[in-house]
Amino acid sequence: MANGLIRCENLWHIYKTGKVVALQDINLTIQAQEILGVIGQNGSGKTTLVKHFNGLLKPTSGRVIVGGVDTARKKVQELSSQVGYVFQNPNHQLFARTVEEELEFGPRNLKLSDEEVIERREKAIEFFNLNPYRKLHPYRLSFPVRKLVGMASIYTMQPAVFILDEPTTGQDHVTTRIVYRLIERLREDGFTVICVSHDMILLAEVVDRILVMRNARLIADATPREVFADLQLMHSTHITPPQITELSLRLRESTLQKVCLSVKEMVETIQDVMSGSRPTQSFNN
Amino acid sequence: MQGVAIPISMVPGNSVLHRLNPLPKLALAIGVLIFSFATRNPALLGIVFAIGLMLVTIGKIWKAYLRVVMILFPIYLTLIVLQSIAPAFPRPWTPIVGFGPFTIYQEGIYSGVSMLARILCMTTYALIMIQTTHPSDLFTSLQKIGMPYVLNFILTVTLQLLPIIQSEFAIVLSAQKSRGMKGTGFGAILPSMVPVFVGAIERVQQLSISLEARAFGSSGRKTSFRDVSMRVKDYIALVLSLVFPILLTTWVVLDKSLDWSRSMVFPPTLSIILVSSCAIGFVVYFIIAVSYVLRV
Repeated sequence: MANGLIRCENLWHIYKTGKVVALQDINLTIQAQEILGVIGQNGSGKTTLVKHFNGLLKPTSGRVIVGGVDTARKKVQELSSQVGYVFQNPNHQLFARTVEEELEFGPRNLKLSDEEVIERREKAIEFFNLNPYRKLHPYRLSFPVRKLVGMASIYTMQPAVFILDEPTTGQDHVTTRIVYRLIERLREDGFTVICVSHDMILLAEVVDRILVMRNARLIADATPREVFADLQLMHSTHITPPQITELSLRLRESTLQKVCLSVKEMVETIQDVMSGSRPTQSFNN
Repeated sequence: MQGVAIPISMVPGNSVLHRLNPLPKLALAIGVLIFSFATRNPALLGIVFAIGLMLVTIGKIWKAYLRVVMILFPIYLTLIVLQSIAPAFPRPWTPIVGFGPFTIYQEGIYSGVSMLARILCMTTYALIMIQTTHPSDLFTSLQKIGMPYVLNFILTVTLQLLPIIQSEFAIVLSAQKSRGMKGTGFGAILPSMVPVFVGAIERVQQLSISLEARAFGSSGRKTSFRDVSMRVKDYIALVLSLVFPILLTTWVVLDKSLDWSRSMVFPPTLSIILVSSCAIGFVVYFIIAVSYVLRV
């Protein structure tokens, strides 16, 4: 789609209660198959912004266009087949007696046939590797698995866009890695993923575009490399890049030219520098 | 959904009633409650109700007060309608007029009007107490007169959890809507209620752990951050709020001539207008309420 999958035009949002201006004049376009990160301090408007993408909130002024249609005229339920929103706390949406039933809830709401519901359920169980848990009660699962069930329950709706609110918070290292992998696989399968997150490693290694929010404004919209290299921006939003990026930024003045986003990149860069500028003997010691 | 708050809470202010010690207000509310059950005389109840409205004016809580009255309004209307066709009153009943299977009785109108007056009296004084008193002050002073702290705490926590559960409910509702759930109807009950209740139970479990970690239930006398003192004017108010309902109650109990149930006669036209306007009012209110709920 030439006009982008999601488009915000002069989007303002003012909460009715308390008259808080939560979004000021946001303009942006999201293309299909992008992985987007949204960052900013608490209360900067991140969640308010993404809640406009699936119609949970409607613009006070301006427009949000999803798949060519203005969200102001659509209900959340109608948009749910296009934009899936995975809430931060899976406990807010799990209610069924088994994981299977939980996964069937969404597609049944879309009024799909039984065969299609089961097909989508099986696809989700396979994609999220939930086979051992399929007959268990969602509340008996560990928190990380519950979170995966939450994501899977949106996956069954097959929306073009996934909104993940803090997909890796409160999870151990292994599941965090699984989530990174899943996000990348979602993109390979043609989905667009929007992550609201404070997880800097996720943003540095997985995401290809970052939106930075501050005080209800969108103050930057760039690649992770550009965002993390902008020290002034980092400082003004109180964001600390991943340690490896910070290290490469400090070394940039003297030895390294490249801003590294991951350990792997750093290793490659250092190896390049060492093999280029010094004889190989240094490795033999 | 998010904007609907429970109106049963304090209205911030600095009126005489706000500054008064909670005990006289509590005594008055209980006293009026007892008095309202002791009499059926609409005139006396009306006078007490009017005094209550004066106190509402003094406390500057009209807005919050009317919001509660609006919620209770359909109950007021049904009271009159139901009572007039089936009075909660010893027979014989004097029929006024009949519509098919229903007959409106003289005693029924009386019973309906007096019950309405009773409820108005009780709710008004209870609301004056609740809406002008900080909950912590109320509980602190209750504790001073010997209410067990644990009981006190249960009440406070319940009051504080209500708004939290309300906001949880809003989150759950939007989470399920994002999965294509219809916002209303029977099918929405399970998906939206289960997460709210499970969350509430989990919250209570965590609360109890954190309470124990902070020495809840340790022995010895507790101190309180908020101090509620009894000044001279509080004592005067307490005496007044005890004497006023006690005198009234004794009077209505002793003086049998105040029972107007057989002597007070409603003219038929007035009765019919009253009952039918209440019935129509209820139906209109019901339709408005239903369309408001279905709007979601």
